Formats: sequence, C-alpha cells, structure tokens
Amino acid sequence: YPTRPVDKDKADAELVVNIKKATSAEESAPKQKHVRKCIVYTWDYHTSMAFWTGLRVQPILSDEVQTFKALITVHKVLQEGHPNTLKEAHGQTGWLETCARTVNSDGQRGYGSLIRTYVAFILSKLRFHRLRPEFNGLFEYEEYISLKGIDDPNEGYETISDLMALQDQIDSFQRLIFSNFRHSANNECRISALVPQVKESYGIYRFITSMLRAMHRRTDDVDALTPLRERFSSQHHNLRKFYYECSNLKYLTGLINVPKLGQEPPNLLDNGNA
Amino acid sequence: MQNIGKQSLRVIKNYTKGYSDTQTKVRDATSNDPWGPSGTQMNDLAQLSFNQQDFIEIMEMLDKRLNDKGKNWRHVWKALTVVDYLLHTGSENCILYFKENMYIIKTLKEFQYIDDNSKDEGANVRQKAKDITNLLQDDSRLREERRSRGNMQDRMAGRVPG
Repeated sequence: YPTRPVDKDKADAELVVNIKKATSAEESAPKQKHVRKCIVYTWDYHTSMAFWTGLRVQPILSDEVQTFKALITVHKVLQEGHPNTLKEAHGQTGWLETCARTVNSDGQRGYGSLIRTYVAFILSKLRFHRLRPEFNGLFEYEEYISLKGIDDPNEGYETISDLMALQDQIDSFQRLIFSNFRHSANNECRISALVPQVKESYGIYRFITSMLRAMHRRTDDVDALTPLRERFSSQHHNLRKFYYECSNLKYLTGLINVPKLGQEPPNLLDNGNA
Repeated sequence: MQNIGKQSLRVIKNYTKGYSDTQTKVRDATSNDPWGPSGTQMNDLAQLSFNQQDFIEIMEMLDKRLNDKGKNWRHVWKALTVVDYLLHTGSENCILYFKENMYIIKTLKEFQYIDDNSKDEGANVRQKAKDITNLLQDDSRLREERRSRGNMQDRMAGRVPG
C-alpha cells in the first residue's frame, strides 16, 4: 500500500468512472485529469490490471472516437504509469488487436486508419519494452543509466537500431495525423494524440544522442558508425520539422513545451548535451 | 467582502470537520485566497514537519490539495509552493515522502485549467510541477540548496557571523 493516504475501495470505484470519462463519445481530447487518475492508480497499487479490466467492460469498441481516445489514454498510461504497467500490457495485445479490427475501413468520422496505425505503433512499443525491460515508458536516459550503472557502448548498436525503427514509426504516424486534419471541425481529438508522440520522440531522440556519443567516445573505428550517424542525421531533420509544425498548433503548445531542435544535428564527437 | 465570507466559512469547516491545528494551518496556507502562502505560514509548517504526528497530518492535507480539481487550481499551486519550501527547509522525511510519491507531482506537468475569461491558470501549476520534479531528481542540487538555505537562516537569526 502507498504511503500517501488512500482508500482502495474508493480508488477502484473512481477508476471505473475515470476510464469512462476519459473515453467518452465526445470528439475532444481525453481529459488529462481523468488520464492522470489512471496513471496515479498504477503507482498507488503497483498494478494496471484494474485499468485494463476497466477498459474492457466499457462499450468503447462500437465507436471510433471512443476507441481512439482509449488508445491515447493507454499510450499515456504506458508512458507514465508504474513500470509494472508495461509488463502487464504484454497480456493485452489481443484487446489492442481487436481495437484495430473492429473499425471498418476508414470509419464514419475518418478515424479508421488512425486507429490501425496507432495500434501498430503501441504493439511495436510493447515488443521493444519486452526485449529491453530496462527502459521506462518515456525512454528517460537518466533512469536507464541509474539502473544499469554504466554506459556500455557494446550493447548499443542493436538497441539504437531498434529505437530508430520506433522513431520512424512515430514519424509516419504523426504525418498521418496531420494529413487527417479536417478544415471544418476543430481537430482537438486528433491533436491530443500528438502530445504523447512529442514526448516519446523526444525521449528517444535524447537517448539515441547520448548513446551514440558514448559509442563514439569508446570506439577507434568511427567509420563503422557511419550508417547510424547518417540515419541519426535524417531523423534529426524529420523531428525538427515535426516539432516546428506542432509549435504552430496553439492547442498543443498550451499543454506541453514543444522542444526546439537546432538546424543541424548535434556533433556526436563532442561531450555536449542533447 | 467575498473573501471575508470564504474565510469565515473555512473557519467553520475547520471546526465542523474536526481538523487539527496542524491540518488547519495547511488548509490556511493553501486556501483559495488570492495571496500567500506567507513565509511565516510555510516556516511554521516546516518546523512542524520534524514532529512525526504533525508530519503525517501535513502530508494528508497536502495530498488532498495536490489532487484537487482544476477550479481549485490555487489549492494545487499553493500546495506545490509549500512542498517546494518543505523540501528546502523541512525534515528529511519530507524528501523521502515526495521522492516515493513523486508521480503525484510529476503527473501535474500537464495540469489544465482555463477560467471563464479564457485565462490559462494551469500554466503556473505546470511550471511549478516541472521545477519540483527536476529538483527531486537532482539529489546533489537539492542537498546544496538545503545547505545554503540553512546557512542563510542561521545568519538571519544571528547564529553565525555573516
């Protein structure tokens, strides 16, 4: 039980309400206060099972907006929930696949492809975390280092390739979201899916930068790293463009600070920060 | 006038809900009044945090305030202000407690509240949550800031020659 004053029965009852409200049928962002309660629950009780059960019992899948909001909520809980959340999520892939299957072609309000792409991304993310349980949901380098106690470049190459693959997936997903904006309506619901993408991509970016720097410090063969350097450089430019476009969305900049990257990728041969 | 009404209501609530003196102090320091919390109030709480029973009561009440809803953003913002103060001058238990429950503060980094005049009142809460999270994750900085704060207080109290 947590050291903060809580009441388990009350928390369980509230969780159901919070899930319901976060995934309401209204075409808006999942309200952060409800998402936050889900995240806090996983930390209080070191488990996310009640969260998944709560999602299952809601009639979410009959409505594409609700399904999309549920996926945003899931993504945020995976990012910021207790580490057990990522472990327990491996048993939930069936439900996620059902989300992608249930919506037909493009959906009535155009969420079909967004839902299918989001599910594919979350499944890739889960695969990555299953293979590398030392990463937290937001890829925070500090926590990784404190866990590992070292920065070992030898295990780096493959990890970086896999992280870059995730980064590419985020990039194509964000492009899809932008291309799905509607001129007539406000796009709050779609934009709110960009929030966890900005955070995740920046965590990955900072991680890759630090890891590549460590590898360059340790190796005598800088040429062997050329393919990674080139890919890093192209991802830097894509990310910079992504953040620039996000910085023009007033709704989004009111919620989070969108990072600003320099015009050129950082020099991996010096010791600076990302 | 409106504030005076609220203040007396709070006095009544403190009484009817049976809040202790310490809990009342936390409630006053983190109220919806547009000013404060004052240095005196915060210092008072920091001193009380060295007593185990008072410590528990302070944390109970701060937890309520930190998890309050958007309309009461002042509760949340002032509670964060008090937390920041306690981390600097309160007992070691305050540090242990907030490290263990960091997610309560960390998840306020996306706190939202826009009032009737479309003013973004959540921005202050978000910034403060960010600052405190960074401080909690940087042990050496926290130690350093606690030391220099302690020195300053000693100097002002005339315990050490400036």
